Amino acid sequence: MDRYGAPAMSEPSYPGAVPPERSRWLGSFGIRLRVHEWGDPAQTPVVLIHGMFDHARTFDVLAPLLAERFRVVALDARGHGDSEWATSYPWVLDVFTIIQVIRSTGRRAHLIGHSKGGGQSTDAAVRAPNDVLRLVNIDGFGPPAEGFRPNGDAHPQKTQPEYLADFLDWRRGANDRAGWRAYPTVEGLAERRKQQNPRLSLEWLRYFSAYGSRETERGFTWKADPHTIRGYGPWLPDWIAPGWEPLRAPMLALTGTEQDTWGPIPEELIAHRLRHVANVERASVDDTGHFVHLERPKETARVLLDWLGE
Amino acid sequence: MNTRRIRAGRHELVLHTLQEKSGDALLLLHALWGSNRDWSTDASPWPGPVFALDFSGHGESQWVKGGGYYPELFAADADAALSEIGACHLLGAGIGAYVALLLAGARPDDVRGAVLTAGRGLAGQGPVPDFDDMVRRSDGALEAFAAPRDAPTATDPMVAMVETDVRPLDYACAFGRRARRIVLAGSGEPAAWWKALREVPAVTEVAASGDAVRSAATVFHPATLSTKPAQG
Repeated sequence: MDRYGAPAMSEPSYPGAVPPERSRWLGSFGIRLRVHEWGDPAQTPVVLIHGMFDHARTFDVLAPLLAERFRVVALDARGHGDSEWATSYPWVLDVFTIIQVIRSTGRRAHLIGHSKGGGQSTDAAVRAPNDVLRLVNIDGFGPPAEGFRPNGDAHPQKTQPEYLADFLDWRRGANDRAGWRAYPTVEGLAERRKQQNPRLSLEWLRYFSAYGSRETERGFTWKADPHTIRGYGPWLPDWIAPGWEPLRAPMLALTGTEQDTWGPIPEELIAHRLRHVANVERASVDDTGHFVHLERPKETARVLLDWLGE
Repeated sequence: MNTRRIRAGRHELVLHTLQEKSGDALLLLHALWGSNRDWSTDASPWPGPVFALDFSGHGESQWVKGGGYYPELFAADADAALSEIGACHLLGAGIGAYVALLLAGARPDDVRGAVLTAGRGLAGQGPVPDFDDMVRRSDGALEAFAAPRDAPTATDPMVAMVETDVRPLDYACAFGRRARRIVLAGSGEPAAWWKALREVPAVTEVAASGDAVRSAATVFHPATLSTKPAQG
Protein backbone atom coordinates (compact mmCIF):
# COMPACT_ATOMS: atom_id res chain seq x y z
CA MET A 1 0.00 0.00 0.00
CA ASP A 2 1.26 3.47 -0.66
CA ARG A 3 0.41 6.78 0.98
CA TYR A 4 -2.84 7.08 -1.02
CA GLY A 5 -4.15 4.03 0.76
CA ALA A 6 -4.09 2.27 -2.62
CA PRO A 7 -1.77 -0.24 -4.27
CA ALA A 8 1.72 1.22 -4.65
CA MET A 9 2.23 3.48 -7.66
CA SER A 10 5.15 5.64 -8.68
CA GLU A 11 4.16 9.29 -9.10
CA PRO A 12 0.73 10.88 -8.73
CA SER A 13 -0.96 11.27 -12.08
CA TYR A 14 -3.93 13.07 -13.52
CA PRO A 15 -5.15 13.25 -17.13
CA GLY A 16 -3.28 16.04 -18.94
CA ALA A 17 -0.97 16.83 -16.01
CA VAL A 18 2.66 17.32 -17.02
CA PRO A 19 5.37 17.77 -14.38
CA PRO A 20 7.53 20.91 -14.72
CA GLU A 21 10.40 20.71 -17.21
CA ARG A 22 12.66 22.81 -15.00
CA SER A 23 12.60 23.83 -11.32
CA ARG A 24 14.72 26.39 -9.46
CA TRP A 25 14.96 28.28 -6.21
CA LEU A 26 14.48 32.02 -5.92
CA GLY A 27 15.93 33.92 -2.96
CA SER A 28 13.28 36.35 -1.80
CA PHE A 29 13.79 38.71 1.16
CA GLY A 30 15.62 36.07 3.20
CA ILE A 31 13.72 32.89 2.30
CA ARG A 32 13.84 30.40 -0.58
CA LEU A 33 10.92 30.10 -2.95
CA ARG A 34 10.26 27.29 -5.43
CA VAL A 35 9.74 28.16 -9.09
CA HIS A 36 8.69 25.66 -11.79
CA GLU A 37 8.90 26.15 -15.56
CA TRP A 38 7.48 24.64 -18.72
CA GLY A 39 8.21 25.52 -22.36
CA ASP A 40 10.93 27.15 -24.43
CA PRO A 41 13.01 29.56 -22.27
CA ALA A 42 13.48 31.80 -25.32
CA GLN A 43 9.75 32.55 -25.55
CA THR A 44 7.90 35.38 -23.81
CA PRO A 45 7.36 34.46 -20.13
CA VAL A 46 3.92 33.89 -18.67
CA VAL A 47 4.02 33.97 -14.86
CA LEU A 48 1.31 32.00 -13.00
CA ILE A 49 0.33 32.91 -9.43
CA HIS A 50 -1.86 30.57 -7.40
CA GLY A 51 -4.35 31.43 -4.67
CA MET A 52 -4.58 30.91 -0.91
CA PHE A 53 -3.56 27.39 0.24
CA ASP A 54 -2.94 26.28 -3.36
CA HIS A 55 0.48 25.65 -4.89
CA ALA A 56 2.36 25.89 -8.20
CA ARG A 57 1.70 22.26 -9.16
CA THR A 58 -2.00 23.10 -9.46
CA PHE A 59 -0.92 24.50 -12.85
CA ASP A 60 0.32 21.08 -14.07
CA VAL A 61 -2.57 20.84 -16.54
CA LEU A 62 -2.87 24.48 -17.64
CA ALA A 63 0.86 25.23 -17.89
CA PRO A 64 1.76 22.69 -20.61
CA LEU A 65 -1.13 23.99 -22.73
CA LEU A 66 0.23 27.54 -22.49
CA ALA A 67 3.80 26.27 -22.96
CA GLU A 68 3.02 25.52 -26.60
CA ARG A 69 3.61 29.22 -27.17
CA PHE A 70 5.19 30.65 -24.00
CA ARG A 71 7.83 30.12 -21.33
CA VAL A 72 5.54 29.33 -18.41
CA VAL A 73 6.77 30.14 -14.90
CA ALA A 74 4.78 29.12 -11.79
CA LEU A 75 5.63 30.21 -8.26
CA ASP A 76 5.02 28.48 -4.95
CA ALA A 77 4.10 31.58 -2.95
CA ARG A 78 5.91 32.13 0.35
CA GLY A 79 4.60 29.66 2.89
CA HIS A 80 2.99 27.49 0.19
CA GLY A 81 4.06 24.33 -1.68
CA ASP A 82 7.79 23.72 -1.46
CA SER A 83 8.65 27.36 -0.67
CA GLU A 84 9.90 28.15 2.82
CA TRP A 85 7.68 29.35 5.61
CA ALA A 86 8.12 32.92 6.82
CA THR A 87 7.45 34.52 10.17
CA SER A 88 4.65 36.67 8.80
CA TYR A 89 2.75 37.18 5.57
CA PRO A 90 1.86 40.78 4.75
CA TRP A 91 0.09 41.14 1.40
CA VAL A 92 2.58 43.65 -0.01
CA LEU A 93 5.48 41.17 0.25
CA ASP A 94 3.63 38.67 -1.94
CA VAL A 95 3.11 41.52 -4.41
CA PHE A 96 6.81 42.43 -4.42
CA THR A 97 7.70 38.72 -4.73
CA ILE A 98 5.66 38.48 -7.94
CA ILE A 99 7.67 41.40 -9.34
CA GLN A 100 10.87 39.55 -8.34
CA VAL A 101 9.74 36.41 -10.20
CA ILE A 102 9.03 38.40 -13.35
CA ARG A 103 12.41 40.15 -13.13
CA SER A 104 14.13 36.78 -12.57
CA THR A 105 13.17 35.87 -16.15
CA GLY A 106 15.05 38.89 -17.48
CA ARG A 107 12.06 39.80 -19.68
CA ARG A 108 8.76 41.56 -19.56
CA ALA A 109 6.09 38.97 -18.88
CA HIS A 110 2.41 38.24 -19.08
CA LEU A 111 0.98 37.72 -15.62
CA ILE A 112 -1.90 35.39 -14.68
CA GLY A 113 -3.17 35.11 -11.12
CA HIS A 114 -6.04 33.22 -9.54
CA SER A 115 -8.13 34.27 -6.52
CA LYS A 116 -5.85 35.88 -3.91
CA GLY A 117 -3.06 35.48 -6.48
CA GLY A 118 -5.24 37.38 -8.98
CA GLY A 119 -5.59 40.32 -6.63
CA GLN A 120 -1.90 40.26 -5.82
CA SER A 121 -0.98 39.96 -9.51
CA THR A 122 -3.13 42.98 -10.24
CA ASP A 123 -1.36 44.94 -7.51
CA ALA A 124 2.02 43.76 -8.89
CA ALA A 125 1.06 44.99 -12.36
CA VAL A 126 0.03 48.32 -10.79
CA ARG A 127 3.34 48.69 -8.97
CA ALA A 128 5.61 47.44 -11.78
CA PRO A 129 4.12 48.98 -14.93
CA ASN A 130 7.26 48.35 -16.99
CA ASP A 131 7.44 44.64 -16.20
CA VAL A 132 3.96 43.39 -17.07
CA LEU A 133 2.76 43.02 -20.67
CA ARG A 134 -0.79 41.72 -20.19
CA LEU A 135 -2.60 40.73 -17.02
CA VAL A 136 -5.21 38.04 -16.42
CA ASN A 137 -7.11 38.08 -13.16
CA ILE A 138 -9.02 34.83 -12.63
CA ASP A 139 -11.75 35.51 -10.06
CA GLY A 140 -9.50 37.54 -7.82
CA PHE A 141 -11.56 40.68 -7.35
CA GLY A 142 -11.50 40.75 -3.58
CA PRO A 143 -14.05 39.70 -0.99
CA PRO A 144 -17.42 41.34 -0.53
CA ALA A 145 -17.41 44.11 2.08
CA GLU A 146 -18.60 41.63 4.72
CA GLY A 147 -16.01 38.97 3.72
CA PHE A 148 -16.59 35.45 2.41
CA ARG A 149 -19.08 33.59 4.58
CA PRO A 150 -19.54 30.21 2.94
CA ASN A 151 -21.42 28.69 5.89
CA GLY A 152 -23.87 31.53 6.27
CA ASP A 153 -21.78 32.75 9.19
CA ALA A 154 -23.37 35.98 10.42
CA HIS A 155 -20.96 37.32 13.00
CA PRO A 156 -21.55 40.97 13.81
CA GLN A 157 -19.02 43.29 12.19
CA LYS A 158 -16.12 43.89 14.58
CA THR A 159 -14.34 47.17 15.07
CA GLN A 160 -10.70 47.46 14.01
CA PRO A 161 -9.43 47.43 17.62
CA GLU A 162 -11.44 44.25 18.23
CA TYR A 163 -9.89 42.66 15.12
CA LEU A 164 -6.43 43.57 16.38
CA ALA A 165 -7.22 42.15 19.83
CA ASP A 166 -8.20 38.86 18.12
CA PHE A 167 -4.91 38.91 16.21
CA LEU A 168 -2.95 39.56 19.39
CA ASP A 169 -4.73 36.71 21.19
CA TRP A 170 -3.94 34.39 18.27
CA ARG A 171 -0.29 35.46 18.31
CA ARG A 172 -0.02 34.79 22.05
CA GLY A 173 -1.12 31.19 21.50
CA ALA A 174 0.48 30.63 18.09
CA ASN A 175 3.42 28.64 19.42
CA ASP A 176 1.28 26.25 21.41
CA ARG A 177 -0.82 25.05 18.51
CA ALA A 178 0.22 21.92 16.66
CA GLY A 179 -0.66 23.31 13.22
CA TRP A 180 -2.59 21.36 10.63
CA ARG A 181 -4.47 18.25 11.52
CA ALA A 182 -2.62 15.15 10.29
CA TYR A 183 -4.35 12.50 8.15
CA PRO A 184 -3.24 8.87 7.84
CA THR A 185 -3.37 9.03 4.04
CA VAL A 186 -3.39 11.65 1.28
CA GLU A 187 -6.90 10.44 0.49
CA GLY A 188 -8.02 11.96 3.78
CA LEU A 189 -6.63 15.35 2.77
CA ALA A 190 -8.35 15.12 -0.62
CA GLU A 191 -11.67 14.34 1.02
CA ARG A 192 -11.25 17.24 3.43
CA ARG A 193 -10.60 19.63 0.59
CA LYS A 194 -13.56 18.19 -1.30
CA GLN A 195 -15.79 19.40 1.54
CA GLN A 196 -14.48 22.95 1.03
CA ASN A 197 -14.51 22.85 -2.78
CA PRO A 198 -17.29 20.45 -3.79
CA ARG A 199 -17.03 21.40 -7.49
CA LEU A 200 -13.53 19.91 -7.78
CA SER A 201 -13.32 16.18 -8.58
CA LEU A 202 -11.86 13.80 -6.03
CA GLU A 203 -9.48 12.56 -8.72
CA TRP A 204 -8.08 16.05 -9.17
CA LEU A 205 -7.96 16.68 -5.41
CA ARG A 206 -5.89 13.50 -4.92
CA TYR A 207 -3.35 14.92 -7.36
CA PHE A 208 -3.55 18.35 -5.71
CA SER A 209 -3.14 16.87 -2.24
CA ALA A 210 -0.23 14.62 -3.21
CA TYR A 211 1.86 17.66 -4.14
CA GLY A 212 0.31 19.92 -1.52
CA SER A 213 1.13 17.73 1.46
CA ARG A 214 4.08 16.16 3.21
CA GLU A 215 4.48 13.13 5.45
CA THR A 216 5.32 13.92 9.06
CA GLU A 217 5.63 11.82 12.19
CA ARG A 218 1.96 12.54 12.87
CA GLY A 219 0.80 11.62 9.34
CA PHE A 220 0.11 13.63 6.17
CA THR A 221 -0.34 17.39 6.61
CA TRP A 222 -0.66 20.32 4.22
CA LYS A 223 2.62 21.93 3.19
CA ALA A 224 1.08 25.40 3.36
CA ASP A 225 1.85 27.38 6.50
CA PRO A 226 -1.37 27.85 8.52
CA HIS A 227 -0.06 31.31 9.47
CA THR A 228 -0.45 32.58 5.88
CA ILE A 229 -4.09 33.38 6.52
CA ARG A 230 -2.99 35.98 9.08
CA GLY A 231 -1.58 38.54 6.66
CA TYR A 232 -2.80 41.25 8.99
CA GLY A 233 -3.56 44.76 7.86
CA PRO A 234 -6.54 47.05 7.79
CA TRP A 235 -6.90 46.82 4.01
CA LEU A 236 -10.48 47.67 3.17
CA PRO A 237 -12.47 46.10 0.34
CA ASP A 238 -13.46 49.67 -0.57
CA TRP A 239 -9.84 50.39 -1.47
CA ILE A 240 -9.56 47.61 -4.04
CA ALA A 241 -11.11 49.51 -6.92
CA PRO A 242 -9.29 52.85 -6.44
CA GLY A 243 -6.08 50.87 -5.89
CA TRP A 244 -6.35 49.55 -9.44
CA GLU A 245 -6.79 52.95 -11.09
CA PRO A 246 -3.06 53.37 -11.87
CA LEU A 247 -3.00 50.00 -13.72
CA ARG A 248 -1.51 50.39 -17.22
CA ALA A 249 -1.35 46.79 -18.43
CA PRO A 250 -4.47 45.54 -20.25
CA MET A 251 -6.48 43.24 -17.97
CA LEU A 252 -8.58 40.23 -18.81
CA ALA A 253 -11.07 39.63 -16.00
CA LEU A 254 -11.93 35.93 -16.18
CA THR A 255 -14.68 34.36 -14.10
CA GLY A 256 -16.71 31.20 -13.87
CA THR A 257 -20.45 31.07 -14.36
CA GLU A 258 -21.47 29.03 -11.30
CA GLN A 259 -21.67 29.99 -7.63
CA ASP A 260 -18.86 28.45 -5.60
CA THR A 261 -17.29 28.57 -2.15
CA TRP A 262 -14.98 31.57 -2.65
CA GLY A 263 -16.55 33.34 -5.60
CA PRO A 264 -17.46 34.69 -7.98
CA ILE A 265 -18.67 37.66 -5.97
CA PRO A 266 -21.90 39.33 -7.17
CA GLU A 267 -21.67 40.60 -10.74
CA GLU A 268 -22.56 44.18 -9.74
CA LEU A 269 -19.64 44.21 -7.30
CA ILE A 270 -17.18 42.94 -9.93
CA ALA A 271 -18.49 45.54 -12.36
CA HIS A 272 -18.18 48.26 -9.72
CA ARG A 273 -14.55 47.37 -8.99
CA LEU A 274 -13.62 47.02 -12.68
CA ARG A 275 -15.02 50.45 -13.48
CA HIS A 276 -11.73 51.77 -12.09
CA VAL A 277 -9.65 49.76 -14.57
CA ALA A 278 -9.14 51.74 -17.78
CA ASN A 279 -8.35 48.83 -20.11
CA VAL A 280 -10.26 45.71 -19.16
CA GLU A 281 -12.02 42.94 -21.04
CA ARG A 282 -14.37 40.39 -19.52
CA ALA A 283 -14.54 36.68 -20.27
CA SER A 284 -16.03 33.62 -18.63
CA VAL A 285 -15.75 29.87 -18.97
CA ASP A 286 -19.08 28.04 -18.89
CA ASP A 287 -19.85 25.55 -16.15
CA THR A 288 -17.01 26.58 -13.87
CA GLY A 289 -17.02 28.03 -10.36
CA HIS A 290 -14.13 29.72 -8.55
CA PHE A 291 -11.42 27.37 -9.90
CA VAL A 292 -11.98 28.18 -13.56
CA HIS A 293 -8.60 26.88 -14.77
CA LEU A 294 -8.81 23.66 -12.72
CA GLU A 295 -12.34 22.75 -13.73
CA ARG A 296 -11.92 23.42 -17.47
CA PRO A 297 -8.21 23.78 -18.24
CA LYS A 298 -8.49 23.30 -22.01
CA GLU A 299 -11.24 25.87 -22.44
CA THR A 300 -9.40 28.25 -20.11
CA ALA A 301 -6.15 27.82 -22.06
CA ARG A 302 -8.00 28.62 -25.27
CA VAL A 303 -9.35 31.86 -23.81
CA LEU A 304 -5.92 32.79 -22.43
CA LEU A 305 -4.01 32.00 -25.65
CA ASP A 306 -6.55 33.98 -27.68
CA TRP A 307 -6.20 36.97 -25.41
CA LEU A 308 -2.43 36.91 -24.91
CA GLY A 309 -1.81 36.65 -28.68
CA GLU A 310 1.61 35.86 -30.08
CA MET B 1 20.56 46.69 33.06
CA ASN B 2 18.75 43.36 33.04
CA THR B 3 17.61 41.80 29.83
CA ARG B 4 15.30 38.89 29.21
CA ARG B 5 14.32 37.01 26.08
CA ILE B 6 10.61 36.76 25.40
CA ARG B 7 8.76 34.74 22.79
CA ALA B 8 6.66 36.56 20.18
CA GLY B 9 5.13 34.20 17.64
CA ARG B 10 8.00 32.36 15.94
CA HIS B 11 10.82 34.62 17.03
CA GLU B 12 12.46 35.96 20.15
CA LEU B 13 12.60 39.52 21.37
CA VAL B 14 14.74 41.17 24.01
CA LEU B 15 13.08 43.14 26.79
CA HIS B 16 15.40 45.40 28.79
CA THR B 17 14.76 46.51 32.35
CA LEU B 18 15.96 50.09 32.68
CA GLN B 19 14.75 50.55 36.22
CA GLU B 20 13.68 48.07 38.90
CA LYS B 21 11.34 49.73 41.34
CA SER B 22 7.96 48.65 42.66
CA GLY B 23 4.92 50.49 41.38
CA ASP B 24 3.22 51.34 38.12
CA ALA B 25 5.19 49.96 35.14
CA LEU B 26 6.22 51.90 32.03
CA LEU B 27 7.03 50.19 28.71
CA LEU B 28 9.15 52.12 26.19
CA LEU B 29 8.64 51.49 22.45
CA HIS B 30 11.33 52.89 20.16
CA ALA B 31 11.06 54.44 16.69
CA LEU B 32 11.65 52.64 13.40
CA TRP B 33 15.39 51.90 12.87
CA GLY B 34 15.94 52.49 16.62
CA SER B 35 16.42 50.30 19.70
CA ASN B 36 16.36 50.36 23.51
CA ARG B 37 19.51 52.53 23.30
CA ASP B 38 17.38 55.44 22.07
CA TRP B 39 16.15 56.04 25.60
CA SER B 40 18.02 57.82 28.36
CA THR B 41 19.45 55.35 30.84
CA ASP B 42 18.15 57.59 33.62
CA ALA B 43 14.57 56.46 34.12
CA SER B 44 14.39 57.86 37.65
CA PRO B 45 11.60 60.40 36.96
CA TRP B 46 9.20 57.44 36.56
CA PRO B 47 8.00 56.14 39.94
CA GLY B 48 7.91 52.42 39.02
CA PRO B 49 9.69 49.80 36.92
CA VAL B 50 10.70 50.86 33.40
CA PHE B 51 11.13 48.42 30.52
CA ALA B 52 12.40 49.01 26.97
CA LEU B 53 11.54 46.58 24.18
CA ASP B 54 13.59 45.96 21.05
CA PHE B 55 11.04 45.41 18.26
CA SER B 56 11.67 42.46 15.97
CA GLY B 57 14.38 43.28 13.41
CA HIS B 58 15.82 45.92 15.77
CA GLY B 59 18.45 46.09 18.52
CA GLU B 60 19.11 42.68 20.08
CA SER B 61 15.82 41.10 18.98
CA GLN B 62 15.65 38.53 16.19
CA TRP B 63 14.86 39.42 12.61
CA VAL B 64 11.64 37.93 11.30
CA LYS B 65 12.25 35.21 8.76
CA GLY B 66 11.19 36.41 5.33
CA GLY B 67 11.19 40.07 6.30
CA GLY B 68 7.46 40.70 6.77
CA TYR B 69 7.34 43.76 9.02
CA TYR B 70 4.20 45.81 9.57
CA PRO B 71 2.74 47.90 12.38
CA GLU B 72 0.43 45.19 13.72
CA LEU B 73 3.36 42.76 13.96
CA PHE B 74 5.18 45.30 16.13
CA ALA B 75 1.96 45.61 18.14
CA ALA B 76 2.13 41.84 18.71
CA ASP B 77 5.75 42.32 19.84
CA ALA B 78 4.65 44.92 22.36
CA ASP B 79 1.75 42.68 23.40
CA ALA B 80 4.25 39.89 24.16
CA ALA B 81 6.03 42.33 26.48
CA LEU B 82 2.68 43.33 27.98
CA SER B 83 1.87 39.71 28.81
CA GLU B 84 5.26 39.51 30.53
CA ILE B 85 5.05 42.64 32.68
CA GLY B 86 1.29 43.04 33.16
CA ALA B 87 -0.79 46.21 33.05
CA CYS B 88 1.31 49.31 32.40
CA HIS B 89 1.64 52.69 30.77
CA LEU B 90 3.26 53.05 27.34
CA LEU B 91 5.66 55.60 25.94
CA GLY B 92 6.31 55.36 22.20
CA ALA B 93 8.33 57.23 19.59
CA GLY B 94 7.56 57.19 15.84
CA ILE B 95 6.37 53.70 14.92
CA GLY B 96 6.56 52.97 18.66
CA ALA B 97 4.01 55.74 19.17
CA TYR B 98 1.74 54.23 16.52
CA VAL B 99 2.12 50.81 18.15
CA ALA B 100 1.35 52.32 21.57
CA LEU B 101 -1.85 53.74 20.06
CA LEU B 102 -2.80 50.36 18.56
CA LEU B 103 -2.13 48.50 21.79
CA ALA B 104 -3.92 51.09 23.93
CA GLY B 105 -7.01 50.65 21.74
CA ALA B 106 -6.82 46.85 21.47
CA ARG B 107 -5.94 46.20 25.14
CA PRO B 108 -7.70 48.98 27.07
CA ASP B 109 -7.85 46.81 30.22
CA ASP B 110 -4.07 46.43 30.32
CA VAL B 111 -2.83 49.73 28.90
CA ARG B 112 -3.55 52.47 31.43
CA GLY B 113 -2.48 55.23 29.09
CA ALA B 114 0.04 56.08 26.38
CA VAL B 115 2.25 59.06 25.59
CA LEU B 116 3.05 59.42 21.90
CA THR B 117 6.23 61.24 20.81
CA ALA B 118 7.78 62.00 17.41
CA GLY B 119 10.14 59.69 15.50
CA ARG B 120 10.51 57.55 12.39
CA GLY B 121 7.65 55.31 11.35
CA LEU B 122 4.86 55.10 8.87
CA ALA B 123 3.53 58.39 7.54
CA GLY B 124 -0.02 57.09 7.33
CA GLN B 125 -2.45 58.23 4.70
CA GLY B 126 -6.09 58.40 4.12
CA PRO B 127 -8.98 58.01 4.14
CA VAL B 128 -7.94 56.32 0.87
CA PRO B 129 -4.20 55.78 0.33
CA ASP B 130 -2.33 57.62 -2.41
CA PHE B 131 -1.90 54.68 -4.76
CA ASP B 132 0.07 56.67 -7.35
CA ASP B 133 2.58 57.48 -4.61
CA MET B 134 2.81 53.79 -3.72
CA VAL B 135 3.64 53.00 -7.36
CA ARG B 136 6.35 55.69 -7.41
CA ARG B 137 7.90 54.26 -4.24
CA SER B 138 7.83 50.60 -5.30
CA ASP B 139 11.18 50.35 -7.06
CA GLY B 140 12.88 52.21 -4.22
CA ALA B 141 11.27 49.88 -1.70
CA LEU B 142 12.46 46.79 -3.58
CA GLU B 143 16.01 48.21 -3.64
CA ALA B 144 15.89 49.01 0.07
CA PHE B 145 14.75 45.47 0.89
CA ALA B 146 17.66 44.07 -1.13
CA ALA B 147 20.24 45.81 1.11
CA PRO B 148 22.82 43.49 2.74
CA ARG B 149 21.34 41.21 5.38
CA ASP B 150 24.57 39.83 6.82
CA ALA B 151 25.11 42.16 9.78
CA PRO B 152 23.37 40.44 12.72
CA THR B 153 23.55 43.42 15.08
CA ALA B 154 22.22 45.96 12.58
CA THR B 155 18.56 46.68 11.94
CA ASP B 156 16.99 44.42 9.32
CA PRO B 157 16.79 46.52 6.11
CA MET B 158 13.36 44.98 5.51
CA VAL B 159 11.88 47.22 8.21
CA ALA B 160 11.94 49.84 5.44
CA MET B 161 8.64 48.37 4.27
CA VAL B 162 6.95 49.92 7.29
CA GLU B 163 7.89 53.38 6.03
CA THR B 164 6.04 52.76 2.78
CA ASP B 165 3.08 51.12 4.50
CA VAL B 166 -0.21 52.99 4.71
CA ARG B 167 -3.02 52.99 7.21
CA PRO B 168 -6.22 54.99 6.89
CA LEU B 169 -6.72 57.91 9.24
CA ASP B 170 -9.97 56.60 10.63
CA TYR B 171 -8.10 53.42 11.59
CA ALA B 172 -5.86 55.41 13.94
CA CYS B 173 -8.88 57.27 15.30
CA ALA B 174 -10.78 54.03 16.05
CA PHE B 175 -7.95 52.99 18.38
CA GLY B 176 -7.78 56.46 19.91
CA ARG B 177 -11.49 56.32 20.75
CA ARG B 178 -11.18 52.93 22.48
CA ALA B 179 -8.04 53.72 24.48
CA ARG B 180 -8.27 54.80 28.11
CA ARG B 181 -5.96 57.76 27.61
CA ILE B 182 -3.77 58.98 24.74
CA VAL B 183 -1.46 61.98 25.18
CA LEU B 184 0.33 63.53 22.20
CA ALA B 185 3.73 65.03 23.00
CA GLY B 186 5.10 65.61 19.53
CA SER B 187 7.54 67.95 17.90
CA GLY B 188 8.11 68.96 14.29
CA GLU B 189 5.62 68.39 11.47
CA PRO B 190 3.24 65.64 12.63
CA ALA B 191 2.14 62.72 10.46
CA ALA B 192 -1.37 62.78 9.00
CA TRP B 193 -2.64 60.16 11.47
CA TRP B 194 -1.31 62.26 14.35
CA LYS B 195 -3.25 65.31 13.18
CA ALA B 196 -6.40 63.18 12.79
CA LEU B 197 -6.06 61.94 16.37
CA ARG B 198 -6.36 65.52 17.65
CA GLU B 199 -10.06 65.38 16.72
CA VAL B 200 -10.70 62.39 19.02
CA PRO B 201 -12.26 63.67 22.29
CA ALA B 202 -10.25 61.46 24.67
CA VAL B 203 -6.93 62.48 23.12
CA THR B 204 -5.05 65.34 24.77
CA GLU B 205 -1.84 67.14 23.83
CA VAL B 206 1.07 68.45 25.89
CA ALA B 207 4.23 70.33 24.93
CA ALA B 208 7.11 68.05 23.91
CA SER B 209 10.02 67.81 26.28
CA GLY B 210 13.60 66.66 25.76
CA ASP B 211 13.24 63.90 28.32
CA ALA B 212 10.43 61.64 27.19
CA VAL B 213 10.32 59.53 30.37
CA ARG B 214 10.00 62.74 32.44
CA SER B 215 7.18 63.82 30.12
CA ALA B 216 5.37 60.56 30.73
CA ALA B 217 5.87 60.91 34.49
CA THR B 218 4.60 64.49 34.35
CA VAL B 219 1.45 63.34 32.56
CA PHE B 220 0.64 60.19 34.52
CA HIS B 221 2.25 60.75 37.95
CA PRO B 222 2.43 64.52 38.49
CA ALA B 223 2.09 64.22 42.30
CA THR B 224 5.09 61.90 42.55
CA LEU B 225 7.20 64.22 40.46
CA SER B 226 6.34 67.36 42.39
CA THR B 227 7.64 65.79 45.59
CA LYS B 228 10.76 64.32 43.95
CA PRO B 229 12.41 66.91 41.71
CA ALA B 230 14.90 65.52 39.20
CA GLN B 231 18.56 65.66 40.04
CA GLY B 232 20.85 68.07 38.18
